[in-house]
Amino acid sequence: MAPGRPAQSPHDGGGGNTNRKRKDAPTNPQHNGPNKRPRQHIDQRQKMRIARTLSTQTTSTAFQNGALDVSSFVKSRAYEIQALENGLQRSKKALNERAFQQVPKELRRRTASHNVKRVPKRLRVRAGREMAVDNTPTVTARRRKPSGHMRLRLETVKKLRALGAKRKAEKDKPKDATTTELLPKDVQPGTVTTAIRTRIPKVKKSLLATPPVPKAKFRKRQIHKSWLPTHLYHAKRARMTAPSAPIWRYAVPLTPTAKSYRPTHRASHDRGAVAWDMSYMSTIQLEGRESSVLGMLKAIGVAEEDLSGRKSNKWRAGVRVLDAFLYERESPHELIAPVTMVWCVYDGTATVMEKRKRKMFLRVHPSAFYQLWEEMLRLAKVAKPAVSVEDLRFEIGSIEITGPGATEALLGALWPSSMASTSNDASDAAITGMDVDATSDHPRSESVGETWQKLAGLTNPALLPQNALLGFNVQDPRLHHPPRTIALLKSDAEQHKLLEISASWPVDAAQKACDIFDRKARHSASTSLPSQKAVNRRKGLAAPGEYPQALPKDPRVPVLLYSSSNATPTNSSKSRQSTAHNGSWTLLAPWKCLQPIWYSLMYYPLSTGQQPRFGGLDQKRQLAFEAGKPWFPGDFPGTKAGWNWECEDRRRRESEWRKRPRGKRVSYEKVELGGGKKGEVGVGWACDWERLLNVPPVIEEAALAGIEDIMDVDGPAEKAGDGTTPAEKAVEDNTKPAEQEKAKENILPLQATPKPPQLSQLSARQALALLASPEAKLPPHINLTSALVTVRLTLLTRGVPHPCARIYRLPTNDPDLRRQWLALLPSNLPHKKQKGSKHALPRLPKDASAHVVQQRLAQSLLEPPRAGEDKYPACPAEEDLVGFITTGNYDLGEGQGTGIGSLLVDRVRDGGAESNVYIVRNAGTGLGRLARWEVA
Amino acid sequence: MVRLKHRYLLVNILYPGPVATPRGKDQQTLPDTIQFHKPTSDSLTPQMLMRLIRDGVAELFGDYGVGVVAGSLQVKYFSAATSTAIVRVSRAHYRLVWAALTFATRLPHPLDEACVMQVVRVSGTIRKSEEEAVRRARMGIRKAQSAGTWMWDESTIGQGHGNVGSEGGSVGGAEAGARPGIEDIEDDRSESGDSGD
Repeated sequence: MAPGRPAQSPHDGGGGNTNRKRKDAPTNPQHNGPNKRPRQHIDQRQKMRIARTLSTQTTSTAFQNGALDVSSFVKSRAYEIQALENGLQRSKKALNERAFQQVPKELRRRTASHNVKRVPKRLRVRAGREMAVDNTPTVTARRRKPSGHMRLRLETVKKLRALGAKRKAEKDKPKDATTTELLPKDVQPGTVTTAIRTRIPKVKKSLLATPPVPKAKFRKRQIHKSWLPTHLYHAKRARMTAPSAPIWRYAVPLTPTAKSYRPTHRASHDRGAVAWDMSYMSTIQLEGRESSVLGMLKAIGVAEEDLSGRKSNKWRAGVRVLDAFLYERESPHELIAPVTMVWCVYDGTATVMEKRKRKMFLRVHPSAFYQLWEEMLRLAKVAKPAVSVEDLRFEIGSIEITGPGATEALLGALWPSSMASTSNDASDAAITGMDVDATSDHPRSESVGETWQKLAGLTNPALLPQNALLGFNVQDPRLHHPPRTIALLKSDAEQHKLLEISASWPVDAAQKACDIFDRKARHSASTSLPSQKAVNRRKGLAAPGEYPQALPKDPRVPVLLYSSSNATPTNSSKSRQSTAHNGSWTLLAPWKCLQPIWYSLMYYPLSTGQQPRFGGLDQKRQLAFEAGKPWFPGDFPGTKAGWNWECEDRRRRESEWRKRPRGKRVSYEKVELGGGKKGEVGVGWACDWERLLNVPPVIEEAALAGIEDIMDVDGPAEKAGDGTTPAEKAVEDNTKPAEQEKAKENILPLQATPKPPQLSQLSARQALALLASPEAKLPPHINLTSALVTVRLTLLTRGVPHPCARIYRLPTNDPDLRRQWLALLPSNLPHKKQKGSKHALPRLPKDASAHVVQQRLAQSLLEPPRAGEDKYPACPAEEDLVGFITTGNYDLGEGQGTGIGSLLVDRVRDGGAESNVYIVRNAGTGLGRLARWEVA
Repeated sequence: MVRLKHRYLLVNILYPGPVATPRGKDQQTLPDTIQFHKPTSDSLTPQMLMRLIRDGVAELFGDYGVGVVAGSLQVKYFSAATSTAIVRVSRAHYRLVWAALTFATRLPHPLDEACVMQVVRVSGTIRKSEEEAVRRARMGIRKAQSAGTWMWDESTIGQGHGNVGSEGGSVGGAEAGARPGIEDIEDDRSESGDSGD
């Protein structure tokens, strides 16, 4: 029996008009003709009512002649099921039913979502229908009537064009006149041709590079900053720095517009890849005798074993990179920044090592660039024989990419130029005066490019030798755009081959001088990139489904690729070691060639699905945090760059705090610190290093004896540090914080507060040495009382540390409080091996018997006090304050709160058995949490 | 804005009495479950069902009951072919309606058939009661089919008395296929009791 006639049709009256969003304009009945009916208006309520109405079957249709039998009984119920399920679906859909609302989350957009052409193809027809119903025609940009700002711009363009035409006409006219006049006089044609040749501009060294002149269209927007090569890509998809507030004089993407905290974590750890345009990293080139370059490096604090030890042979040969901390040459030898150094492979003939003339790249964060640059210039002047220093900031761009799919995506984008064309190019090179040595003799072993292509299937660059490096030339990536998924390893044999390569690493032998060190090669690669039109033509000529053939005249883009593993060099905790460290690739390429490479990377279809994600500054910090590594400059407050960053952060936090009404912001002066103390230590929105350094520990009668010796230590050291007498010091101490407070109150400081002169930062290596043996030899200049060491903290109980959280050591002068805190240590708790929630007793079943409940009661009485209870120990006093958290959050990798902060190394050294258990308290709260730290 | 809170009662109309119009031997061989859940006459409209409830509430709780219930009482869904209805009432007073339904013994006047109104589910959203109705319809189909085949087997063997005892009779000899009605009521109790508050 067929399902009967529905008693109420769900669609009556609705028709195609049910999904209308926009209302019709109010229609005037007088203007409407007699036969023009106003369109039926259906509002949302009615729509919902229609959607929710269920169709039913009457008995007479379900049971013919009223006969009751099994089959019609079953059928009537089947009809009911159908009707109810339809109704469920319909009423769900009635809530969201527009085509663009059904787009997957990461493809959703806010701007122009009404534009039919911007929804995925499968939804386009439906979206078009909806738009037609809504009376919202889709317009093309071409035919749109320019509005507002655009109209102004177009008018300006028109005026400029008129002016240009006029000028051109003027320019052309007298030229014609003069030539006609001059021609009879100027008889020798030969002189004319020679006059055209212009002098090749001499490369100016030791000068700061100027940013490339942008296209006129974009020039006004780059007056006080420069755009990264991929700015247009990012500006569409990411939150950029505000136009008025560039970071490090670049417009830097901060974070993708789409939600990305968890996706970034997943892409970098489990599946996928995350890439950054890191072109803002500055490159400095040193060129000169190897011995004098090494001497310079030694002067700015590269360790001796890195410079001349056997371990660094490969680095000096130019097949590894070196990460090191650089310091200022003059006392107090401040830490400048962590720097990556790359030697160019020496291809010359000089056998004496010291006499070789070589090149080296230093890559440094832009926030510390100027400091390093000044230092380098000063050193280069005194170096003998001379070393030339060159600023390659806008000549070399870089991309960083991490995650299991990183190598794959890079392989899809970087196609090595064929060796066959090398010989052709060698002749070209000879004409342009390039160093021919690199290509004159072909190696019997495979070239670097070939090795590179054999890395397909590598999911973690950390498998390769540490800091391995590959320098080769690649083809224009646009020829292979859109990229296709590369063939991955299928058999065990291939897998073995990959392992073999990573073990033997043939690049060490095959690496020649990389072209990226050569100015001419960089320049020719940038200028000889064909136009997109030419590339398209070539692609059109290629056989369908095939990429165009490589031609010998194709530009060869020099790239340098190096891997860096995230493994911390320090003694990291066991949990950290067990988790797989994901290495990352850094790609250096000429500034102007970076954009096509970026597009190829971003559109590469990964074998695991989806495409590589892009990240902003926030993602960079997030992943550094998850790897437990400090991020420069934010986590190095002892450096100049780090201090500036901290000041910037302070200002931001303060303005955010001030923006809120009084009742809705943390009132720092009322924070209960326990022990009857009230008020936040220092400024609540800052990592208040000044307070930590300047204010002597509060002296109480009971605690006097304990502090005496600390004071003794402090005194002479401070004197040595900045040459003020203790009396002066004390005066300063009293006035300084007050003044600073006042300054903050009155003017929002446009200028960053100057860094306290004593504040300095120890590198991890120094800190480890110092902590391992208290009498370790440190460079004499380091002022121990105010040296900071960057650490990583893991909370032992619950809680999540936030930036600016205060770090305390266990109370030194209050043994009772100290005992209370130690009792909270999870290792001291009786029930350790429990599952479920970390620090609560497991839940009892509902029907637990009375004695079990009683037992539980007793157990819970023995429990250590929970946070928030009266018995929970109070925070230690200010004399035990040792540092601040600079980055803290819930760590998705660890599954608990962790943080990265800095400690005053002097207050850290004298620890007992529980020397690495500290207390972390978030700013604005009175609750301390136990944490364990290790040098990061 | 304060949201109006409702309860949705899923109601089954059951017919415990012997089938009114015996039409020969076919009717006798129909399984219990079908007779029990037999379709309601078309002449019972949602409006009549409303009136039945309202009269019941008036009888049991007087004008007060009618007053508090009247504002929100609505029959959201009524399918005569399956004798299923969904009744909406405000959350505060759904018990009055439930009681009225429970105490109803006959369909209203022109039909005048003996029946039991069974509330099988009380839920806060219509969605859940719809889902429950779907689940019950599925169960009904399964039971009808299994009972039908069982009946068929019985009749082929030649032991013609499939109707063992009247519906809702002795609870003791419950067989899965034979007494679906009783089983229904039992598990309904627990469910509606859970969702009641």
